[in-house]
Amino acid sequence: MVQSQGTYVIGVDTGGTFTDIVALGESGEVITGKSPTTPWDFSIGVLNAIEEVAKTMGIDRKDLLGRTRMVKHGSTVATNAVIVRGGAKVGLITTKGFEDTTLIMRAVGRVDGLSEDEIRHVTRVTKPEPIVPKELIRGVSERIDYTGDVLVPLNEGEVRAAAKELIDDNECKAIAVSLLQSWANPAHERRILEILEEMYPNGDIFFSVGSDLIRVSGEYARANTAVINAYVGPIVTRYLNNLESKLKEEGLTGPLLITQGNGGAVHKDHATPIGNFQSGPAGGMMASAYMANVMKHDNVITTDMGGTSFDVGMLTNGYWRYASEPIVERFRVLQPIIDIESIGAGGGTIARVDPETNRLLVGPESAAAYPGPVAYDQGGERIATTDADLVMGILDPDYFLGGRSSLNIAKAAQYIKEKIADPLGLDVHEAAAGVFDIINAKMADLIRRQVIRQGYLPEEFVLYCFGGAGPVHLAGFAEELGIKRAFIFRPSAVFSAFGAAAADVIHTRMLSVTYGLPMDPSELNKTLREIEDDLSTAMADEGFSRDKVTFQRYFSMRFRRQTTGVEIPVQWDSFTDQEMGDVQRLFESTYEELYGIGAGFARAGIEINAIRVDAVGTVSKPNMESHTPGGPDASGAIKAHRDVFFTQPDRGFVSTPVYEYDKLAAGNQVPGPAVIESQFTTILVPKSWNVTVDHLQSLVMEHLV
Amino acid sequence: MTTTSAVGQLDPVKYEMFFHRLWAIGEEGRLAIQRVTASPIVSQGGECMCSFYNPEGVMTLACSGHLRFAGATSDAIKMLLRRFSENPGFFDGDQFFMNDPYVAGAHTFDMMIIKPLFYKGELVGWTAASIHTADTGGVMRGLATEVFHEGIRILGLKIVEKGQQREDVFATLTEQCRDPQYVSLDLNSMIAANNVTAGRYVELLDKFGLDFAKAAEAKVIEDSETMARAKLRALPNGTWKSRVYGTAVDKRAQALRIFQVVCTMTKKDDELFLDFEGTSPQSDDATNSTLPCTMAHFCVALSNQLYWDVPWSDGKMAPISWNIPEGSILNATYPAAAGNGPGVGGIMVGALSECLAQMLYAGGRLDDVNAPWHVLPYQGGPGFFYGGHNREGLVTAQGLYDIHASGLGAAPDRDGVPTGGHYNIPSGGISDIERTEMQYPFIYFARNHNRDGGGFGKYSGGAGSYRIYMIYGSKNSNVDYKPYGGVPQGNGLFGGYSTGTGGVRGIYRTESGSFLDKVQSGNSYPNFSEDIIADGWAIDALPNDLPDRMALPEFTLLSDVVPGGAGYGDPLDRSPEQVANDVRDSLTSLEVADRIYGVVLSASGGADLDATQKRRREMREQRLATGAPYSGKTSGVSDELQKASGWQSELRWHENLEVASLNGQRAIRCTECGHVYCDVSENYKNYAVRYTQDLNEMPGPKMPRHGFDGVYHIYYCPGCATQVRVDTYSPAPGDSDEPLWDFKAG
Repeated sequence: MVQSQGTYVIGVDTGGTFTDIVALGESGEVITGKSPTTPWDFSIGVLNAIEEVAKTMGIDRKDLLGRTRMVKHGSTVATNAVIVRGGAKVGLITTKGFEDTTLIMRAVGRVDGLSEDEIRHVTRVTKPEPIVPKELIRGVSERIDYTGDVLVPLNEGEVRAAAKELIDDNECKAIAVSLLQSWANPAHERRILEILEEMYPNGDIFFSVGSDLIRVSGEYARANTAVINAYVGPIVTRYLNNLESKLKEEGLTGPLLITQGNGGAVHKDHATPIGNFQSGPAGGMMASAYMANVMKHDNVITTDMGGTSFDVGMLTNGYWRYASEPIVERFRVLQPIIDIESIGAGGGTIARVDPETNRLLVGPESAAAYPGPVAYDQGGERIATTDADLVMGILDPDYFLGGRSSLNIAKAAQYIKEKIADPLGLDVHEAAAGVFDIINAKMADLIRRQVIRQGYLPEEFVLYCFGGAGPVHLAGFAEELGIKRAFIFRPSAVFSAFGAAAADVIHTRMLSVTYGLPMDPSELNKTLREIEDDLSTAMADEGFSRDKVTFQRYFSMRFRRQTTGVEIPVQWDSFTDQEMGDVQRLFESTYEELYGIGAGFARAGIEINAIRVDAVGTVSKPNMESHTPGGPDASGAIKAHRDVFFTQPDRGFVSTPVYEYDKLAAGNQVPGPAVIESQFTTILVPKSWNVTVDHLQSLVMEHLV
Repeated sequence: MTTTSAVGQLDPVKYEMFFHRLWAIGEEGRLAIQRVTASPIVSQGGECMCSFYNPEGVMTLACSGHLRFAGATSDAIKMLLRRFSENPGFFDGDQFFMNDPYVAGAHTFDMMIIKPLFYKGELVGWTAASIHTADTGGVMRGLATEVFHEGIRILGLKIVEKGQQREDVFATLTEQCRDPQYVSLDLNSMIAANNVTAGRYVELLDKFGLDFAKAAEAKVIEDSETMARAKLRALPNGTWKSRVYGTAVDKRAQALRIFQVVCTMTKKDDELFLDFEGTSPQSDDATNSTLPCTMAHFCVALSNQLYWDVPWSDGKMAPISWNIPEGSILNATYPAAAGNGPGVGGIMVGALSECLAQMLYAGGRLDDVNAPWHVLPYQGGPGFFYGGHNREGLVTAQGLYDIHASGLGAAPDRDGVPTGGHYNIPSGGISDIERTEMQYPFIYFARNHNRDGGGFGKYSGGAGSYRIYMIYGSKNSNVDYKPYGGVPQGNGLFGGYSTGTGGVRGIYRTESGSFLDKVQSGNSYPNFSEDIIADGWAIDALPNDLPDRMALPEFTLLSDVVPGGAGYGDPLDRSPEQVANDVRDSLTSLEVADRIYGVVLSASGGADLDATQKRRREMREQRLATGAPYSGKTSGVSDELQKASGWQSELRWHENLEVASLNGQRAIRCTECGHVYCDVSENYKNYAVRYTQDLNEMPGPKMPRHGFDGVYHIYYCPGCATQVRVDTYSPAPGDSDEPLWDFKAG
């Protein structure tokens, strides 16, 4: 039981199964909890989670909320609305002659969001059901060229007629507006919004305008952005208003902040609905960034392995990258969303032997939560990695998820024998270990590709590991990558909530430009000033005066004629010819790091093709509670011994001590081989690895070579 | 094929790790290409690939990307080995440039850079990066009559020597082209990719050891062959035949030339034999496919339908044999021009896909069945290869690849995907208009789905798109030009119609001042191609003669169309509600709803089910009344057998037809009404009711000026009037109009 008199910052992250919560106390204490997610009304799960953590602290919910400085929340409401197709009825107003843009989907929409294996089955792959069907799309005459010049003025009569048809006749509850080249000149979109607001002034209809959400070229993804924002807008708004009033009723006086896919939080009233997407994974990244700052790590690979997927992100020199045209469900959008790559590799990933080639294939298919792996004993007949982990002795059949469920090891072993071991002529444990090794190698390949693509080498990084299924495989894939140190943090089971609690306020602006170098720096300075003035206004609304805001600037640059740019952080806040030259050199050297010497082609000329500015308002955060290290002896935390099959450095069963994570103290050393168990995860420590419990009670895994 | 005794003993776990790593390395290389290139067709369209080969040049693995490059690139390496082993020889760090379509690749625009892989001084394999580039110098597209006209054609040049880029070679190559910067970035992208893949490959060998890698690579090839053979074994034996038409220019006669590709596919046990006897002779323009180009397109058709889950190595081609007559349009004799090789290859893909789809249907693999689809326009008018300069004075980036969003073919349980993609590139796509407008001197007035743009059927083919755009900001713009002439390509399956029957492709002159005034003051612009002339926006500017290219003065309007996919099944079996929805959504015209689908719409736009049922009944009666069987009789079996009951289905090879047997007699029989056409050894079409439909009287988009060439032979069941087959027929002099025998049971 934790007693505290001070104030708290609460982070709550609503996930698919659990609503996770972290309360950060003034003096650095970290209190965590979990409560089942309540999809029929997500706010119930949030309040239950608050209740849960209050209970741990020995106070009641009202008392806790009364002492809470702010609640920062990552919700899955928007994502869920798209998955279950429960959003608003949306009408789309677009440029006449281009009504099918969101249906044509640049053709690539047929495969967006699918895995390589799915894409190859060409005859089966169809486009997703559109969010706005053709009958709710209206074109209005207008044309602006890419320099922003108006070629055809907006036909306002058509706008009014379209609005009437969509809203009055077809009962649309939200209207998305997306016109061609509106990133270059948003005048027509703004005029349409004025007309809509004039026609429907009472706030019943949700309006979503593409150029208000992003000023980047690419009409297909920008239209999706406006459409999805409109689709989830009413639901998200309703949910957040409801949650806020409930929290206030329960005594919250501080603000409700919403975490966004860009890795920041913004006040509830300033959160755009589409900004909600990917806030869960972004939470993991925010938590990682917080820990990287505390631990003084520059280069971090973050890994999150759950039941079905393995997500990888990167922090380089403390920065995360945004994805270009990230995909929400199966729709590409233009939004600043942290670049996190995902493959189908999780506890439920299926292993099988191909009858023709006798290959042992692992993934990408995954067992659904029900019936799940064979060992769940719910009728599942397909072997999953969890079955292999169990048969190898890594998982305790009686302590799965902290003993909340048990696993049928005999059945898993029988299936592995019949379906994998016998066809391959292996014994059952070697077969299970094969599945284990293959999935580790696949995860390592994904990480390697992502790291190298950005011009780095994996061995220059430390690994952060979270998600329930990850720490079983951590040593395996880290060793494949030549990574020497990996970290599992105390709050890793609720890492996204921890990230939310630690989030800063961030507003982002992105703008497509075509600035050929050399250019007059004053034009660039003027653009930056405009962006930053706009951001300053937004930050002032968040309570940050301009001097409290840090601007982080990034230029996307390319050789002229190229279609994609390389984003580089730039440190200057204004430019003279001198800095322009420095930027050019920085680009060229970054480019060569990425693609090798000679890959660049300066003769074609260099241009800046996009500018992104993040305005960051730092939210004060307590330092995590530090524990004075004790002695190295961790034997007091040993709760049992069991035989575990290791594949590294030698293959075979080893009698292995099993430690209880909660009983490990700062300064303890756990030499491999070992298994460390907590309520939410199991950590495998091979003989060639050593674990130290640091002053934050993190597990620091080091490869001994 | 490779059989190594070591293969059987490979550690299965280590092998999986090796295989996945090799694949990941290739992907890394491909990503490097896509980021370095200047070509939208590569970076956004995905026309590129990285691949690995064993020391003898046999492909061990190609990664995702352009299927054409997964086919016949091995021959490039085999040629290097044959010609250049001694002089200049291969050394660590070398890279060779190759783009000879008579060796590998589909035309000179398909470029490869090939790097020998060395490990501890030993040549252990090869890696190659391939892309499609838009510029090779030479004459502009449309003008070539020999391959010498098609720009640089390089058998093999060492562009990187022992790790050092050869500036003399690089500059000489790129400065042969109109746009050296653009081509330089393309070459750099391949060099960068090879550096990535070669470096990673050495690390792979460090980890797994050379001996293991050699055995594992042999297993990849062997596995592909094993899987390919297993897939074939599981399908019924038989012979399927397809005939697809295309158009070229007869340069001597200055006239349209219609050619045909005839594919006879025989599957026996685990082997597939492809015979192209009957295919037209080569053309005297660039509408030719070289043998490597045809082989590359085999790979496209096979990978999409049959081999989608087979790893891309040369092993998958082991069960395939072929006969492609030399001097035919699919095996053009050097030095024929071959710039439009992918166009001809695409027609071959249409023919082979149709055979494969029917075989897969007969094998019960319904998930793998799609009616054919096409991305290359079959009508004339303005092409899509632009020349001149854009608004910023930069050379226009040539090809406008909206054709990469073709409609896909219909499937046994659903419509084809509209604007679904390109058969060459499973993950490809087209550019945003906003980006196209930055690169080309165009402003668009429309890009939407093409009404009636997919093949009609119980399930319709996906529609392609139509576009209207104007030359804007350039005084110097031109485009290739072809004579009009329409022959539908890509046959429908089982009574469905062929890929969309057309659309308006035109060039229109505007009065610049008044056109701009009109769009500005009227707040409007042309939305449909049909309206451009009708509504007085512009006047027809099509030439009366046959120019190779046409100048496009500023403010010229162009209209263009991308083909769709073919249909599946009898259109009268299509859901009336779906037809009504398609009319509402501008995918189907009222005329097609009425004349093809027999759907009567109510005043509110919904389907009137009673009236539709009546209309469809009348149409079925009409079918039997207006057509007649080619043989003069509706069945080849005795009356007694016709009326007999107790037929046992042996093979359901068609949506409405089966091979059935009774007392030892095997016959072709209708699954709907039980009508017995004939003995299994005969052509069922001789006994079907045939109606000859003039293509120019089909409802749907009309061709400007010239009209279509040819007819549809439409076949109906004599018993129930179900439409069982639509064949396009566009005869050359002397051709017989005998029904094409498209299926023989094995």
